Amino acid sequence: MGETYAEERSGEAVSDEGLLTDERVKLVGLAVSLAFTAVIVGFIALVLLEYVNYDLLISVAPRFVVAFARVLAVVLVSSVFAVTLGVLVGLGRVSRTGVTHSIATAYVQFFRGTPLLFQLFIIYLGIPSLWPPGGFPISRGWELAPPVLVVDWTFITAVVALTLNHAAYVGEAVKGGINAVPSGQMEAARSLGMSYVDSMREIILPQAWRNALAAIGNDQVILVKDTSLLTVIAFPEIITVFREINSNQFDAWTPIVLVAVTYLAITLPLMRLVQYLENRAEWGTGG
Amino acid sequence: MTANDQEDRQVSADGFDLPEVEFEKVNKYFGENHVLRDVDLAVQDREVVVIVGPSGSGKSTLLRCVNRLEEIQSGEVRIGGEAISAPDVDVNRLRQRVGMVFQHFNLFPHKTALENVTLAPVQVRGLSKSEARERGLDLLEEVGLGEQADSFPAELSGGQKQRVAIARALAMEPDVMLFDEVTSALDPELVGEVLAVMRGLAEEGMTMLVVTHEMGFAREVGDRIVLMSEGEIVETGPPVDFFDNPKTDRARQFLERVH
Repeated sequence: MGETYAEERSGEAVSDEGLLTDERVKLVGLAVSLAFTAVIVGFIALVLLEYVNYDLLISVAPRFVVAFARVLAVVLVSSVFAVTLGVLVGLGRVSRTGVTHSIATAYVQFFRGTPLLFQLFIIYLGIPSLWPPGGFPISRGWELAPPVLVVDWTFITAVVALTLNHAAYVGEAVKGGINAVPSGQMEAARSLGMSYVDSMREIILPQAWRNALAAIGNDQVILVKDTSLLTVIAFPEIITVFREINSNQFDAWTPIVLVAVTYLAITLPLMRLVQYLENRAEWGTGG
Repeated sequence: MTANDQEDRQVSADGFDLPEVEFEKVNKYFGENHVLRDVDLAVQDREVVVIVGPSGSGKSTLLRCVNRLEEIQSGEVRIGGEAISAPDVDVNRLRQRVGMVFQHFNLFPHKTALENVTLAPVQVRGLSKSEARERGLDLLEEVGLGEQADSFPAELSGGQKQRVAIARALAMEPDVMLFDEVTSALDPELVGEVLAVMRGLAEEGMTMLVVTHEMGFAREVGDRIVLMSEGEIVETGPPVDFFDNPKTDRARQFLERVH
């Protein structure tokens, strides 16, 4: 952080006599980041040594493992659907067919313009109320691999809402990725006699995908964290487990540490995966 | 029957005087801007027509109308007698008969040189992968890039990229090749290798429509020079007449400026 700040400022440094010389800014940046690290590390050490109840931690850890697996299942399914649907939304957003473009735009505007929490309620509460009381067909669900994978209305709501919401964001990333491909690419493909669909699939989308990969990956990380909202529709995810333990044991820091570890256990590998995919998509620059 | 036309182009060209490319009273606007004004032009089989003119005169636009990368507002553009400008035409089929090379190469960066060359033959013409590969390697060999078949565009020089782009267009076995200022984005020392490939094509009898600022090339390789200015064809004639004996003031002005 200190490095980038120093570099940005170096362009503005007016003269050698100014207060903000490159060297000083660099040293200040270093000092600030070291001080920041010291405070954080100190605080974490304090928490781990003084405030975490390790007996409790060990006894409740399995519940976080289950929550981890549940969230991972929802994330994997939603993420695959969201990226797939998002590519279609992105294609709709760049479509020159007026109706297709308008529908894709309205879709994106609604799902980006209203809170995910509200969208969860529309599906979770709104859809079943379309049936007469007690008549909604999905009440018990399918216990595919309990307690991790139970496909009940809560699970379906979670997947549908996360998919629809994040497809809007992925769609915008894909649209940006497509627009960033030089127009000459489409012209070259079309001039060879390739159809629009073939040109999109073979030429534009692979390049758009690379352009959009960072933004799509970023959105999938947000999707993981958005599962925390599922606690309000009684999906037993990570925050739900935290709240149960916190209110039963009157202990904040033990479950806080477990929550942090559980989320990072999903998001850090995910970020690594995105980085790997980005590196892999560099053509002909490696050698 | 139309498929046969494509295959038998040499025979039909010998038999008839049907121009490969024909513009008839073509008008094109960009908004208010009238960029092509009543353009009439016929390019015969095996003819090399070089279009010159100041920038903004509509040369590139004219070229881009041949394979309908630009829509025209009135008139007709025909490829081997078929109107590519007609609203209901199968544009993908007619485009196969027209190869195009661009100023900025427009190679596909995620594909190797060979894949750039084989993609359309496989996708569009349904060639088998091995057949396309064999022919692709021959074409790359022909443009002097047999060694670079597995290189990505990012690993090639500008001149090499442009030669791959020429091979890519040739892989579709077009009747006509369009060259849109193909040496303008090259370092001066790389221009020669690209012009040499084009000269070779012309000698083999390829029908070519070339927009260029290389007057030496125009004079040497062109069968006919077309001067455009403000969207109109102002003079056309064999290189000797055009360069040594221009008929119009516009042509004289233009030649004074480029010499």
